[in-house]
Amino acid sequence: MSTALPTPGQPKTQSQLIFEAQERVKRNFQMGVTASWIILLAILLFLFSGTKFTLGGFELKTIHLDTAFIGENATFIAGGVWETIGISALSIALATILALLAALGRLSPFPPIYSVCTFYVSLIRGTPLYLQIFFFFLALPQLGIVLPGLWAGTFALGLNYGAYMSEIFRAGLSSVGKGQREAALALGMTPTQMMTRIILPQALRFAIPPTGNEFIAMLKDSALVSATGFVHELMWRATKVGRAKFHNLEALIIAAIFYWVMTLLFSALQSRLEARLSRGER
Amino acid sequence: MPPIVKVSHLDKYFGRLHVLHDVSLEVQPQEVVCLIGRSGSGKSTLLRCINFLEEPSAGTVEVDGLSVAAEWKGRQRRQLVHDLRLRTGMVFQEFNLFPHMTVIENVIEAPVTVKNMEKDKAIALGEKFLEKVGLMAKRDEYPARLSGGQKQRVAIARALGMEPKVMLFDEPTSALDPELIGEVLEVMKALAREGTTMLVVTHEMGFARDVADRVVIMYEGELIEQGPPSQIFGAPQDPRTKVFLERYRAS
Repeated sequence: MSTALPTPGQPKTQSQLIFEAQERVKRNFQMGVTASWIILLAILLFLFSGTKFTLGGFELKTIHLDTAFIGENATFIAGGVWETIGISALSIALATILALLAALGRLSPFPPIYSVCTFYVSLIRGTPLYLQIFFFFLALPQLGIVLPGLWAGTFALGLNYGAYMSEIFRAGLSSVGKGQREAALALGMTPTQMMTRIILPQALRFAIPPTGNEFIAMLKDSALVSATGFVHELMWRATKVGRAKFHNLEALIIAAIFYWVMTLLFSALQSRLEARLSRGER
Repeated sequence: MPPIVKVSHLDKYFGRLHVLHDVSLEVQPQEVVCLIGRSGSGKSTLLRCINFLEEPSAGTVEVDGLSVAAEWKGRQRRQLVHDLRLRTGMVFQEFNLFPHMTVIENVIEAPVTVKNMEKDKAIALGEKFLEKVGLMAKRDEYPARLSGGQKQRVAIARALGMEPKVMLFDEPTSALDPELIGEVLEVMKALAREGTTMLVVTHEMGFARDVADRVVIMYEGELIEQGPPSQIFGAPQDPRTKVFLERYRAS
């Protein structure tokens, strides 16, 4: 981007011409992508518009959606957005704490602590999330432990994501070089001071963008909790009204739109956060 | 006066590799000692054993009257190692500044966290040392925005901030571009003139000749020869020293 503007009357240098040509190629590609997206979206809308048309003598009709049903139930389904975001936020908070503890525990020279952490990660990663969710909702009550739906969902999702996210924090911790530890120790810091003042702040900065990605994944995985029927989030509401009036198509499409829009919004937020973190060179 | 640093009969093994052989060395108050030798001769290991960044296998390290033996174990020893580190300041080859802190934050971090110094006092002290290394103008920059030479000068200020009894330099100019070495050596010369006790591992023969009070030659984990620079560079006694210095002049 350092090419100077050509002074009027002077011919452009070859490097300026090459630079401009490359910029043109990039811009054209971007415009092509945007246009294609709009066309794809238009095709999708057309497919669900219920339009009648004739093609080669055949009378054809695209998928018809019951707009009256949509109008009546959209608000009810939309009400699940907050529950979806809420359970995802609670779960990611729990997952972050567990992941951090598991990652720190893996640095421990003390075998029992190290083992608890690796055992936890192995157990959780070795069983399906769906099973874990049902375990909290259905198996625990058999033992006399009945958790409110929101908490059971949060524990199941948080415990599961914590195991996967411990890898993120482990990578964050190992991204901080050995020299940082040595400098801290040489200055007389205790291992705890070294961890809290020097290592963790750097490791967490490294871990924030991937944690954002996990939150976005969580927004969608939280739909699994609907299967238990105790948390009235997006997916639960969509299947409830869909089944009751045999309008699953419309109900699921409404839920899909909400999930998609949420993902797009949080992804945009995420890339802004990432840009900010990398800008400071901190 | 008793020596500031007294290393007695130090041995160090890395597994089966014997890297320090019964090394003994003293550094007097206000003395500047340069440790030179081929790479792999054990000079950095010796330096790092003095503040226990490397655990010596046998022997004793004493700094300003506080001595720690390699054989000691347990909680009390950990406290002693900690106290030993407070008496030594270390400058690393790779600077190791804290990248998430500004220059002044780097300098005041240890005084505030380790010594519980009040922040205002620590800042005043830190600014004094930044002034000394000529980097007051960079006070609020992050390390990523500094050149290698500037980073190393901040690292020196950071070590001085703890007001140690001896400064340990581990090849402080080896990671620098040639044109940036001078500014770091100038700062070190100024410290030497002010009477800072310094133990310097270096490949800068010119610095050793001009600044050191004593030059110590290491060879395969042993101290083979030491003396004033005029003697070491002018009339070395040990044939191994002669070979080392000749090879150096040739390159």
